[in-house]
Amino acid sequence: MKDILLRILKKSMPAPNVFILELGADEPLPPIRCGQFLHLKVGGNYLLRRPFCIYKFTERTVTVVAAVVGGGTRCLAEQPEGACLQAVLPIGNGFTLEEKHRKIVLLGGGIGCAPLATVPVTYPDREYISYLGFSTAENVLFEKEFSSFGKTVVATDDGTCGRSGFITDALRADMAKISPDVILTCGPTPMLKAAARLSLETKVPAYMSGETRMGCGVGACLVCACDIKEKNGEIVRKRACVDGPVFRLEDIVL
Amino acid sequence: MNHSNNMPDLSVELCGVRLKNPILTASGTFGYGKEYAQFYDINVLGGICTKGITKEKREGNPSPRIAETPCGMLNSVGLQNPGVDGFIRDDVPFLQTLSTAVIANIAGKTEEDYCYTAERVSALDCVKMVELNISCPNVKAGGMAFGVLPESVQRITRAVKKHCVKPLMVKLSPNVANIADNARAAEQGGADCVSLINTVGGMAIDWRARKPILANVCGGLSGPAVKPIALKMVYEVHKAVRLPIVGLGGIMTADDVMEFLVAGATAVQVGSANIFDPMAGVNLVNELTNLCKRCNINTLRDLTGTLNA
Repeated sequence: MKDILLRILKKSMPAPNVFILELGADEPLPPIRCGQFLHLKVGGNYLLRRPFCIYKFTERTVTVVAAVVGGGTRCLAEQPEGACLQAVLPIGNGFTLEEKHRKIVLLGGGIGCAPLATVPVTYPDREYISYLGFSTAENVLFEKEFSSFGKTVVATDDGTCGRSGFITDALRADMAKISPDVILTCGPTPMLKAAARLSLETKVPAYMSGETRMGCGVGACLVCACDIKEKNGEIVRKRACVDGPVFRLEDIVL
Repeated sequence: MNHSNNMPDLSVELCGVRLKNPILTASGTFGYGKEYAQFYDINVLGGICTKGITKEKREGNPSPRIAETPCGMLNSVGLQNPGVDGFIRDDVPFLQTLSTAVIANIAGKTEEDYCYTAERVSALDCVKMVELNISCPNVKAGGMAFGVLPESVQRITRAVKKHCVKPLMVKLSPNVANIADNARAAEQGGADCVSLINTVGGMAIDWRARKPILANVCGGLSGPAVKPIALKMVYEVHKAVRLPIVGLGGIMTADDVMEFLVAGATAVQVGSANIFDPMAGVNLVNELTNLCKRCNINTLRDLTGTLNA
């Protein structure tokens, strides 16, 4: 975890309200693993940094995918190429695969697909099947990229691209056939809830990367607390930033 | 004689405790120190005020607990902490390795809780002072209930002082009728110094959803937005009491530090700035050194209370 100045090398807007920033550092970045995130200044008069999952990384660059959801993310989206922003990275536990996890389902919803794209980079020796859900055809992203990792199924809520309906229903229909060892997921809360039910019913373990409002991003301020069920049934509050952002889906109270 | 190349003396003395410089970190924004020690040597700071410690472990308020507001932020963490036993077991071993002053911030639901916690933490070698939090706006029982009326400020201060073997700093709330009265009450109760201000009560609303943004509905406002309020209150309290004052509220720059000192503070606390930037503490110490050099200030402590109003 380090505080580093990053420059916007490239900016694109691949879908309505969605933007991709490639950020570069003058120095080599600390080692990054899949599912980690960065805490980025957004410019303007905004004081709090915003957390973004890392979508791609090289020795000196990181790429994030973000949606415009409020003033802070709008300000970031308006930053021009060449602008410099301070960031802490990499943060969090990230996704960890056990040796026995050979066949992996990547289940993403919307821009929540982005952090899943780093998993096959960190663990290239596994079999991946991706299930990517979007609201409508014009929001479909990452399909080509995930196809390069393995079989990829796309669903849209309105049926304008791929299978029609929720991606979790598409996965449910295929579960018996593919019989994965583990599900890794990131996306909106209703999707995570459906994934949690599926994991419970099929007894396939699932890990999720959550999204929450954060303060310091380094584990000190405790504003990103989330409720986690301990083995003894007790509910404790953990920090999404440094204890997460990846938690076992059955442990987190959504 | 030109002193501009000499290192200015930033040290201050607070209730008999010598601080390397007047910059402390504010409770609740700096954990128990070790998170920020990953970024810089926190011994460069004058001191650190720990996250509030209570008798028993607390899980705090539900999330969301934070919202950005113009020039500031609202929080409603609600004193989540490991309790005094957890603090001693998990955090004191690290704090013992520090050369910076450790100030243990304590809170409680009852007078007995405060006294118990004060006795336990003030007995620790690494704790140089105890800060009494009677001004947290984010807990239902205790917290600010002790900090609103001058009589209750005096009573809790007097009770805790009997159990506290280190200097006692009473942290005052701005959400009161007259903060100078509360500072006098702390003085009469036996406080060794006062710190002010805690956060200002506030709220953020998502009108489209007809919902408050914070799960706890209301929270405490901090950051540059509250600095003018804090400066006024430090100025008023400085006129009202003889106790040393630790000023806080929206400090982001070395100039901000100077303003608080001139208004009457002996030392300052930096809070939200740590949340905005993990390097804020060390950057501020360096900035303050450079500012003193540029302004030919050789002894920073001479600035306290030098305002000509």
